[in-house]
Amino acid sequence: MKVSLSWLKDYVSIETDIHDLASALTMAGLEVESIAKPFDYLEKVVVGRIIEIKPHPNAGKLKICQVDAGDRILQVVCGAPNAEDNLVAPLALPGTVLPDGPLLTKCEIRGEISEGMLCSEKELELGEDGSGIMVLPDNLRAGSNIASAMNLSDYVLEIGLTPNRSDCLSIIGIAREIAALQKSRIKYPDISPPVKSKEIFDFTSVTIEAPEHCPRYTAGLVKDINVAPSPFWLRKRLLSIGQRPINNIVDITNFIMLECGQPLHAFDFDLLEGSRIVVRTATKGETFTTIDRKERILDPDMLMICDGKKPVAIAGVMGGLNSEIVNSTKRVLIESAYFNPLSIRKTSKKIGLSTEASYRFERGIDPDGTVRALVRAASLMTDMGKGKSIKGIIDQYPLIQKKETIELGISATGKVLGTELDKNTIRSLLESIEFKVKNSGPDTIKVTPPSFRVDITRPVDLMEEAARLYGYNRIPASLPLMQSETTQPLKALVIREKIKDIMTGLSFTEAVNYSFISESSCARLNLSSDDPKRRLLHLLNPLTEEQNVMRTSLVPGLLETMHRNLSQQVRNLKFFETGKIFLSKGNESLPEEIEMAAGLMTGGRYSQTWYEKDAECDFYDIKGVVEGLLAGLDIENIRFTKIPVELCCYTRYGYTAKIIAGNETIGIVGEVHPEVHHNFDLKQKAFIFELNCSTLLALSDQDITARLLPKFPASTRDISIITDKSIEAMYILEKINSIGEKLIENTHLFDIFEGASVPAGKRSVSIRITYRSSEKTLEDGEVNNIHKRITDRLSMEFGASLPA
Amino acid sequence: MEKTIDQICSDALRELGTAKSKESLNAVSLKYLSRKGIVTQFLRNISQLPPEERPNAGKRANETKKILEKAIEDAINSLGAETPDTDDSIDVSLPGRASLPGSIHPITQITRQICDIFTRMGFEIAEGPEVESDYYNFEALNIPKYHPARDMQDTFYVSDNIVLRTHTSPIQVRVMEKRKPPVKVIAPGKVYRSDSDITHTPMFHQIEGLMVGENISFGNLKGILTNFVHLMFDEKTSLRFRPSFFPFTEPSAEVDILCVMCRGKGCRVCSQTGWLEVLGAGMVHPAVFENVGYNTSRITGFAFGMGVERITMLKYGIDDIRKFFENDLRFLRQF
Repeated sequence: MKVSLSWLKDYVSIETDIHDLASALTMAGLEVESIAKPFDYLEKVVVGRIIEIKPHPNAGKLKICQVDAGDRILQVVCGAPNAEDNLVAPLALPGTVLPDGPLLTKCEIRGEISEGMLCSEKELELGEDGSGIMVLPDNLRAGSNIASAMNLSDYVLEIGLTPNRSDCLSIIGIAREIAALQKSRIKYPDISPPVKSKEIFDFTSVTIEAPEHCPRYTAGLVKDINVAPSPFWLRKRLLSIGQRPINNIVDITNFIMLECGQPLHAFDFDLLEGSRIVVRTATKGETFTTIDRKERILDPDMLMICDGKKPVAIAGVMGGLNSEIVNSTKRVLIESAYFNPLSIRKTSKKIGLSTEASYRFERGIDPDGTVRALVRAASLMTDMGKGKSIKGIIDQYPLIQKKETIELGISATGKVLGTELDKNTIRSLLESIEFKVKNSGPDTIKVTPPSFRVDITRPVDLMEEAARLYGYNRIPASLPLMQSETTQPLKALVIREKIKDIMTGLSFTEAVNYSFISESSCARLNLSSDDPKRRLLHLLNPLTEEQNVMRTSLVPGLLETMHRNLSQQVRNLKFFETGKIFLSKGNESLPEEIEMAAGLMTGGRYSQTWYEKDAECDFYDIKGVVEGLLAGLDIENIRFTKIPVELCCYTRYGYTAKIIAGNETIGIVGEVHPEVHHNFDLKQKAFIFELNCSTLLALSDQDITARLLPKFPASTRDISIITDKSIEAMYILEKINSIGEKLIENTHLFDIFEGASVPAGKRSVSIRITYRSSEKTLEDGEVNNIHKRITDRLSMEFGASLPA
Repeated sequence: MEKTIDQICSDALRELGTAKSKESLNAVSLKYLSRKGIVTQFLRNISQLPPEERPNAGKRANETKKILEKAIEDAINSLGAETPDTDDSIDVSLPGRASLPGSIHPITQITRQICDIFTRMGFEIAEGPEVESDYYNFEALNIPKYHPARDMQDTFYVSDNIVLRTHTSPIQVRVMEKRKPPVKVIAPGKVYRSDSDITHTPMFHQIEGLMVGENISFGNLKGILTNFVHLMFDEKTSLRFRPSFFPFTEPSAEVDILCVMCRGKGCRVCSQTGWLEVLGAGMVHPAVFENVGYNTSRITGFAFGMGVERITMLKYGIDDIRKFFENDLRFLRQF
């Protein structure tokens, strides 16, 4: 909402500095977002008087004017037909930047110097007339600044109004607040009550067929109108707050709306068939062309203003082209109505059109303000449009909007605010904004809010009014009495934070990617048609197609992150992310939200160092990270098993493992599939893992019991086994453990060898077995015997084995 | 004439006395004690001495050898303590075999700080779904369908009744539905609004706070938030409370803090106002209590919400919110 200082001063005297005023409004809940000087661009435009005029020697349509600019005479080339000797007109000096215009400089036009520009009102944005230069009053002093000469110097405050303060969507509304803050009085415009007469009924009638949509419809009629540009004072008012003047009739309706918040509509009465108004809802599929020349498709819920035959306006939103005020309009029907806010809101949303009028109606205007606004508009039209009012008004008010009285507890107010305000204080605060207050008990008052405060319905609303006018900053800060009971922290949160700490300890940096991804990610991830990750939750109104579904995996985000970093020449990356994925259960129910943890590693294992040759990271690096993470979470007994080719979609077959804890699959780890590399335009290999946090939570949430440390020393023996390369190392270790030898404390794989001494297709796997007894120090012979038994079993199992 | 063993001993000791480096000490050791050294040669040549001198000379020579060995060892030891051993020293300036820690995302870091402050004040942490029903995101919070307040938040819709939560406030409702007062929770999480420019991203993070019980007042809200701001920034960061509007609180307030950049003088960050808007807050609206079945005559409470990105940007001097989600490693490693 924009308000100009000079306009405000029509209703309330303002002595304070503009910045103090702005700050007082802000602290009362009307946040001043900016203070501007609307006619700043006229700074270098002065009053000029043409003192000599002659034709341009090289251009038939141009004239050369000598213009008195006060302290000097300037030569200006001008093409305006109305330029003539002794004319007073705005002269833009070099350095001026007009709206939508270039910087004005001294220049040569067809060989003649031009030291400025004589301007039309359109060029100065002071009106619509661009046919010639603007003619200024003869008494203005040449050389004076045009803004000050024409009283255009002003301040405009832009106020960010909250949706509850519809009463402030007008200059008077803001003036009322200022008066309350200054403890001064507001001066309302002088409006005499309407003349009691039935004359208007000889001309027209109003029928409300949908009173729930239109509780009140007030109409008046003005005849013998002369449609013309508005006088300058009115244009100035509208222009100062960014409204384009159109003609006197339309400008008056806009002026009244801005002044008092009541949107008006003016119909060309002679275009209303049957000379009457019918307020009804639309019929399905009906179409209607609004004054912006757009055809709108109507809906049975939409309230329409109709004449005897057809719709002439979408109620409260926009008028129709078929009854618009034009230059030939002679008789005007003025509409001043109160529409149901919800009805207007729905219509405005459905047709996707929000106007100054609909904005006010949907927030709720003053239902008691229709008559005053109508009378004021009619009187301005008779003044300015040289028209005559038809006597009397029509005021249909089938659904009276009552204002309930609210009982407010004084001590209850103090309890909610945390400070004692006595009855008189509260009373005078509320009365300052025109609330009616009555004593109703030792600790209570009865308050009737004014009709324009549609937002006040409960005692707390009154408490807020009292508090904001008293000043929030005067309420002392205090600490509440603390309750001491508390509960266990959220487990999901605890493990998430632990994962983050472990991952950073493992050199990984946390990424946070958007929860939405592109629908095309499924194809780019090579997902099979029945993959659960294809259960996409679509947004109805995504910002871009790149973000049109909720993610079903953290992997696309990490791959995009990798791509962005590679494009910045950062190629050694270790990223992780925790966050939710969303599996759709249909658009009408909430999706399954699953928290995941994922990581990505690419580039060199180390960033180039003096102690280690450049080595690219590989599967075992990322697997080691997963092992480290799980160990940090105290999750034991993890197995990594191969995934069948048909289940490897975005990871490379043969380089991917399923991560299993106990009997449960908790995630996967592997190299990104070459096709996926290609799909995400990644020029180097990446390795990823994905883990389901809720399963991690269940596994890691175990009580720890400390074990006694062994009392007796251990003995170790090594064994090397030559097997087919296809036999997984883990299988050999499991074989050893499955023997069930109680004295085996630990098995540890410490070497893999392939080469000359090992037959082709085979490899040597070296394992160190630690033997220990909890009861005694083992004798060498004893260990040797056990170890031989195991060696024999393994050589039976795998063919060849030899002691290391 | 050959030197006597005693002369040899005193020569050697004198030379040791002048030897200041390990190198020269080694040279002395070599000269006297090595296989071809003087003392060794002397011992070897004892057989050529007259038989009566041999026992004494042998004994003296062995003693000398021991004396010198001990003296050299001592000299080397004391050298090591006094002067650096230049010979086999390493270049300690070479980078270590470090495994540098990764970085926690700045949003996570600030979320942790904020949550820490409130948990120290006795708040619990609650979480909720990111895809919400219209009921929890709007209706239960006193924002009916077609209410103009819905314009305050540009909503992503999945369907008419399912939205991406536009704020963490639905968690308030979910918590109160399950719990009897008193309730003291904060609720951090991701929220979504269809908006994107230098100060808005379609996803961002909020932290919601709720304190409900008997005798909880607006003054208490001021107290808790003042405490928070002083801990999060510093004691000099003053606050101001401005009347505002949220459908689910009444009275409602916007909370500004003194600009942390210019300390109130006015700068680009605070648009010359000296103040920064960082929190929305207010007393929980009775309609919200009614929706969760609380007794509005007995129970009052306050709620507040803040944007984590906003606070992070102020804490770290970041001017473009989009940086948080670009995940440029060079950006993230700073935190």
